[in-house]
Amino acid sequence: MTLVTDRQQLAYVAAQAADARVNIELETEGMTLNIGPQHPATHGTLRIITRLDGEQVVWADPVPGYMHRGYEKLVEVRSYPQVTTLVNRIDWLGSFANEVPFILAAEQLMGIEAPPRAQWIRTILFELARIANVSLFLGDMGVQLGALTPVFYAFRDREFVLNQIESATGGRFHPNYDRIGGLKEDLPKGWIDETRAVMGKMRGFCDEMEELLLGNEIFEARTRGIGVIPADVALSYGLSGANLRASGVDWDLRRDQQLPMAWSQVDWKVWTHPDGDSFARYWVRLQETREATLIVEQLLDGLPAGSIMAKVPRIIKVPAGEAWVSTENPLGEMGYYIVSKGDTGPFRVKIRSASFNNISIVPWLLQGVYVPDVITILASLYFILGDIDR
Amino acid sequence: MGLVEKGRIPKSLTTLLNMSRKYSLWVYQWGLACCAIEMGAAFGSPRYDVMRLGVIPFPASPRQADLVCISGTVTDKMAPAIKRLYEQMPDPKYVISMGSCANCGGPYWDSYSVTKGVDQLIPVDVYVPGCPPRPEALLEGIVLLQERIRNEDMAARWRGEADELHEVKRGEPLVVDA
Amino acid sequence: MSLLSSTPDSETGPVADDRRVGLLAEITAGLGDAVAATHLIPGKDLWVRVNTADWLTAGRFARDALGCAYFCFLSAIDWLPSPFGKGEDDPTEPPPERSTAIEQGFTGGATRFQLIARTVSLQRHVGITWKVDVPDDLVEVESWVKVYAGADWHERECWEMFGISFAGHPGLRKLYLPGGFEGHPMRKDFPLLARLVKPWPGIVDVEPLPVGADDGGEAE
Repeated sequence: MTLVTDRQQLAYVAAQAADARVNIELETEGMTLNIGPQHPATHGTLRIITRLDGEQVVWADPVPGYMHRGYEKLVEVRSYPQVTTLVNRIDWLGSFANEVPFILAAEQLMGIEAPPRAQWIRTILFELARIANVSLFLGDMGVQLGALTPVFYAFRDREFVLNQIESATGGRFHPNYDRIGGLKEDLPKGWIDETRAVMGKMRGFCDEMEELLLGNEIFEARTRGIGVIPADVALSYGLSGANLRASGVDWDLRRDQQLPMAWSQVDWKVWTHPDGDSFARYWVRLQETREATLIVEQLLDGLPAGSIMAKVPRIIKVPAGEAWVSTENPLGEMGYYIVSKGDTGPFRVKIRSASFNNISIVPWLLQGVYVPDVITILASLYFILGDIDR
Repeated sequence: MGLVEKGRIPKSLTTLLNMSRKYSLWVYQWGLACCAIEMGAAFGSPRYDVMRLGVIPFPASPRQADLVCISGTVTDKMAPAIKRLYEQMPDPKYVISMGSCANCGGPYWDSYSVTKGVDQLIPVDVYVPGCPPRPEALLEGIVLLQERIRNEDMAARWRGEADELHEVKRGEPLVVDA
Repeated sequence: MSLLSSTPDSETGPVADDRRVGLLAEITAGLGDAVAATHLIPGKDLWVRVNTADWLTAGRFARDALGCAYFCFLSAIDWLPSPFGKGEDDPTEPPPERSTAIEQGFTGGATRFQLIARTVSLQRHVGITWKVDVPDDLVEVESWVKVYAGADWHERECWEMFGISFAGHPGLRKLYLPGGFEGHPMRKDFPLLARLVKPWPGIVDVEPLPVGADDGGEAE
């Protein structure tokens, strides 16, 4: 499936060898290049200290922590509804998706399940969060490579999805709509038809991105064969989401585990790519966005009627125990390990965020890479700083 | 510049100079967290276009910026970088603090690693509350700032009612009505 | 079949979970004495606690014998109840009595700190939560870096937040916090100072009303 011909590959390898020879001949001292923490190409405040030999990276060390807000300590002094509010802000582009695993874990400890209508609406909003999140990536990767146009289309078309999320939940970002046992309130009138129209628009957006970027020669030359991650390395680092599927591993938590959500009720496909390079990661995310629009349309068609909240006491005390729930968030696998002692708030919550593992591979991945490719690789890994640092 | 400092410019001309300054702000986005996305929507997206107010986003460096918009949570690790950025900007410079994290620490008011408000580091002109504030709220903040610039007394500012840190005293900061 | 079955256990019996029961049998057979305790909730998860000396063995066993190639996370739990409660104490009252008893959760344990780690086998569609006691006198465990490369950053975070060191880790240095930070924040005896310095606004009548506020209060 790759288009990198043998001749191109030979030329690339020869160029690297020539550079290495020049470096030895010139005996240049290594240079330490500091990327970030404020840099247009890092999605937030990530600092990467790289040691260069000529144009190649010899050693790279990401320094996270510039957005460390101490989530795991803060949730210990808050009650469950307060934690739901706070937890929205970890992955701040696909916010609804952060609430869901936490609520599901608390419900698992309580032994209750949300009614079917609430489960379906949760799934719809989850997929809308995925579309809102990944559509920004589709435009943003263009900006990292120097293509300035796609990000404006991304911002413009994302607004339609954010409008839908806002009309249902009240917040463009940070909806804070999930409650233990169900949802805050039901959908407004006309929401279903509007969302169907918006899904059609998002498919048009995906087609536009495909035309603008995927077929572009420069984009292909800059991303094919760059930042290849083999599947076994990806698994040992705990990579998840589209990064894992782009390395050929067929694993999607929506399909491969049973949760009280509605993904098993609709027909959809898991997209993988065998190459494991930056192009594959972009391609997989584009297909997933399109697939998410199809999932939402099917869910809207089959939305059951009924109540949206199970019977829960007014002040929620979650029984003692431990529970782990993880879901396929837009960035990867996000999970919460809740330890409860029967109180109104959790005793300990371990937040397993996808970008933390995705970035831990960067020291291994960036060795021997040219400086412009560093930006490409970081863009294709797609992390969000709140997700790394929590 | 010397004439402005000494206060020898007639009022009508200073008003004209102020108006020309308020309609040519170059804003440096210091986007840290979720508010950065709303700031990006306000500045970069075609719907909440900020250029119609005369404010141009994306300067090449802080040394070319008039206005900095700090959006998102400020952590103690990031604080020295913000101070350095502010000092790199040339006078006259203005600061908008966007979002409740930058205003006062926000939802992370009790965290061990968050600076409770960017005004602990740099003087702020306009606070835009919200979590995150809508792009329209940020535009309102910019409009309020423009009103302040229009009525500013440049001579007093350049004479510098300075304290020992050589920072010019500002008027009462403005807060956007949510 | 939904994991959270709505029929209560007493009517139809517990949900059958052959996958996890078979996995548990493999673990007890393969690790033998290394396993200190186990806990299985059918349809939900399997917890295995191993002895401190066998932590690295358990990791290797998970990766090689059980086929758990996917490393999910590694973290720690501090079982000491917080001496500050929720930081909502009324400062005008004396501090309330709080229990200091350390009670571990599933699979028990004997120490204040415990590590939890999760490994998943994609082929078998099942994951295991591993637990181990961290000795109170020398707060150190073996590192899993040789087994799972991703454990590097997780162990650095554990060290920074809890103060648990890892023998054999290539370089334990700060991950999140600035250089001059003192203390290990996730420990329960590390206070959130903002909550101690300023009284919790949710407690009414802590601060006296401003002068003259009583005048308009009665009109209704």
